[in-house]
Amino acid sequence: MIPPRQIKISLITAPEFNLEYLWWLSILFMVLALLYFIGIFLIRNRITSNSGRTKDKKIELSPMISEFLFYEDSNSKEEKMNYLNLKIQIRELIKDNFDRSVLTEVLLDLRKDLSGQSQTVLIELYKDLGLHNEAFEKLASRRWQIISSGILELTTMEVMESYSLIIKFINHRQGTVRKQAEIAVVNLKEEGIGYFLDNTKYKISEWQQLKLLDVLRHKPNFEPPSFGLWLTSTNIHVVLFSLRLIKYYKQSDAEQSIITLLKHKKRDIQAEAIDCIKEFLFVSALPTLKMVYGKASNDIKIAILDTIGEIGSKSDVEFLEKLKKKERNFNIKSKVLGTLNKIDPESILPTKNISSSDYFSSEVESDKDVNDVQDDMANEVTTQSLEIISQNINEVVEELIVEEANEPIIDEQIVRINSDEHLELAEQEINELEYKVDTNVSEEITSLEQSVIVDSISEIDLSFLPKVDNDNIKEEEAISTDLETVLEEERVLTFDFLPLIISNPNIEEVKINDEDNDFVVLFSLDEDLEIEPIEIENQIDSFQENVIEEIDWTNVSDIDSNQDAEVSKEQLISFENDTVTFSANFMLQDELDTMVLLENIAEMGDCRELPMLQELLAENTSPLILDRTNELIQRFLYQSPRPNELFSSKNDLAESVFTEVYNHSDKETKLILLQEIKRIGDKKEIQLLESIINTESKTLAKSANAVLKHIKSQIVVANVEEINTVENNNPLFNVDFELCLSEASKRMMKSNENGSTIFDQLCSMSNTLYNKING
Amino acid sequence: MGKRVLLADDDQLLASLLNFRLKKGGYEVHHSLNGKEVKEYLKTEMPDIIVSDIMMPYFSGIELIDYVRNELKSNTPIIIISSAGNEQNVLSAFELGANDFITKPVSPTELLVRVAREINKK
Repeated sequence: MIPPRQIKISLITAPEFNLEYLWWLSILFMVLALLYFIGIFLIRNRITSNSGRTKDKKIELSPMISEFLFYEDSNSKEEKMNYLNLKIQIRELIKDNFDRSVLTEVLLDLRKDLSGQSQTVLIELYKDLGLHNEAFEKLASRRWQIISSGILELTTMEVMESYSLIIKFINHRQGTVRKQAEIAVVNLKEEGIGYFLDNTKYKISEWQQLKLLDVLRHKPNFEPPSFGLWLTSTNIHVVLFSLRLIKYYKQSDAEQSIITLLKHKKRDIQAEAIDCIKEFLFVSALPTLKMVYGKASNDIKIAILDTIGEIGSKSDVEFLEKLKKKERNFNIKSKVLGTLNKIDPESILPTKNISSSDYFSSEVESDKDVNDVQDDMANEVTTQSLEIISQNINEVVEELIVEEANEPIIDEQIVRINSDEHLELAEQEINELEYKVDTNVSEEITSLEQSVIVDSISEIDLSFLPKVDNDNIKEEEAISTDLETVLEEERVLTFDFLPLIISNPNIEEVKINDEDNDFVVLFSLDEDLEIEPIEIENQIDSFQENVIEEIDWTNVSDIDSNQDAEVSKEQLISFENDTVTFSANFMLQDELDTMVLLENIAEMGDCRELPMLQELLAENTSPLILDRTNELIQRFLYQSPRPNELFSSKNDLAESVFTEVYNHSDKETKLILLQEIKRIGDKKEIQLLESIINTESKTLAKSANAVLKHIKSQIVVANVEEINTVENNNPLFNVDFELCLSEASKRMMKSNENGSTIFDQLCSMSNTLYNKING
Repeated sequence: MGKRVLLADDDQLLASLLNFRLKKGGYEVHHSLNGKEVKEYLKTEMPDIIVSDIMMPYFSGIELIDYVRNELKSNTPIIIISSAGNEQNVLSAFELGANDFITKPVSPTELLVRVAREINKK
């Protein structure tokens, strides 16, 4: 039960909400949604029905309009009568607002698709039917959309009377109306563009300028006014548009105005004025261009340079040369150079990454005297460097003078100090250049000397010298190098790893075919010994005998045991007369096999190999084998488990082989497995069986219990048998003597047979009785 | 009986005007509103001249030229009407075998003259 206090607390924290309000709210939203969808449905239906009605009305009106458009005076009387009837019919139609609006729409659409006479007739029909009056009414509307559509309609149908009504919208606050009015004014009357440029106060966007230009371009028989008149406008957009119109209509009558506009603060106007100057080739603008250049932006500078390139002359080269030195901007500097070359072709030659002519002529002048070359180059380079430095100094001085002229406040001492500093720098440059010159000259002298020597050698007759093959020289060099390397390496190398070293000069070297070699013969590769080839195929048996006889095995073993490592090294490899002599050593086949066996045991064996290793230890005498065997025995002894560990619960050997199978079997299989354990199991299975009894179901536990009892009984029997067997077989129990009892002992035993206790007595009685009964 | 003209244009107003003008000029005009109708008509009957808008539903004027020239293997004169400023369409039309090209706004009288000229050429 929740205490009432807690219930109160929970009610305070939870918001209280009347479910009735929720229902009312749901109903309200459903009603609103329904109304929304009904509204959409009704509006959609109305639009669709209107669209259908308009379409039908258009189809109805189109033949009538066609009749009007293609009416000709030459038509027959019937056609004329039909035309008059249609006129009456259409006048009746336009009394209805919907029909009138559809007719206006049709005429406006056709106005776009038709040209020529049909278009003129269409416009006349529009006016004749008085549809423009409705457009006038639209202009009086308060809504800017309707005003805009009215202006568009009147402009499309070229209602000239609307001009005076539309011009007042040129400065309308609504942009759409204003732009529509601008186009209308320009379109309706020729003087419209003038009126517009005179009166517009707002910005003329780039897009609007293009549209107005398009209107003017397509205006038939349009005679453009002198747009130079509007270059004085206070509206900079008008000035800009006028400059563009001047350029488009190629009006070059406003030269001075355009030149003056070069000084305009607005970059756009400056750029447009420069374009006009370039277009009309106003040479008189050059001084202004040069004057404006100094404070112009980079774009304007490039435009000015471009214009100077077009209209400039050689008198402008000086100005450009100054700019070349002054300008730091890469683009402008490139433009200056381009302009210079444009005015005075090839006045500027390529200088970047251009080598001096001496660089190419130095090879040609190789036959000159070396000293002359040295002197010439040194003089030339020094002269050049001095010229450059003096030029730099002059430039620095010029700059300083210019700065002084511009800023007379600068102290003369400062100038002097600066010039002194520049001079010091110049001296440093001279020193560096001299050093470079010296270095380069000395290198060149060396190369020249070498070339002179080569030339002089080539002139000598060397035919008396013996011909030396270059390949042979290389081979000999390679061999000598290899030998030296080998000798050096041999001095460093140690040969402790070599197993057996036998070098006995008494042993004759015998050549043996390896294929028939089932034993190993020791021999030395001593060059002093003469090798006598033996025909092994015919004399293999006698050869074996002889060899075995010839080898002094005791001597060999003595050598093995007695020779130390140092001696072995000396005898294994000897260096005499720059030749290397190796002494070979081979094991006996049996030893080799044993060693292979030991290595296999070492790789794959374990403690079970210990008996075998013990046998090998006993059988072999070779110290190598003995060492290796002992080593392995030590290793496996260390690895082998202790007897008490072997059958401990942790050891796998103590675990029943049935354990894993049992754990992965079903109940039926487990029962079968228990029967098998009963049949062939031993004491290893006790643990498993005990675990089954403790953990498994009753059936399995019962079976396991039975099996366990069986196994335990088997173990007892086996132990008894084992004891008996041990007793029978053990030599300890087989004594080869008999115990002789003394008389006293015999009496003692006899008395003991009857027993000293009541139980003994009873037993003896029963035995006596038994003996009597059985005879 | 006048020469048969197939007028293919989805703009009903303009088509009606041109239809009227061509009929007045003595031609027998069949008006189709879209490419499907044009194809159906051409399967049954081949007109003396085809006047087609370049932009039509289902089957453009360019496809119509290709169909007439390559599938029907007909040399019937074809005049294409299109909006101005589409040079690529003009070139494609002439490449495929259009005989003439008129840009909008169209003068119905001019069209009449061109139709007469093409028929006379044929």
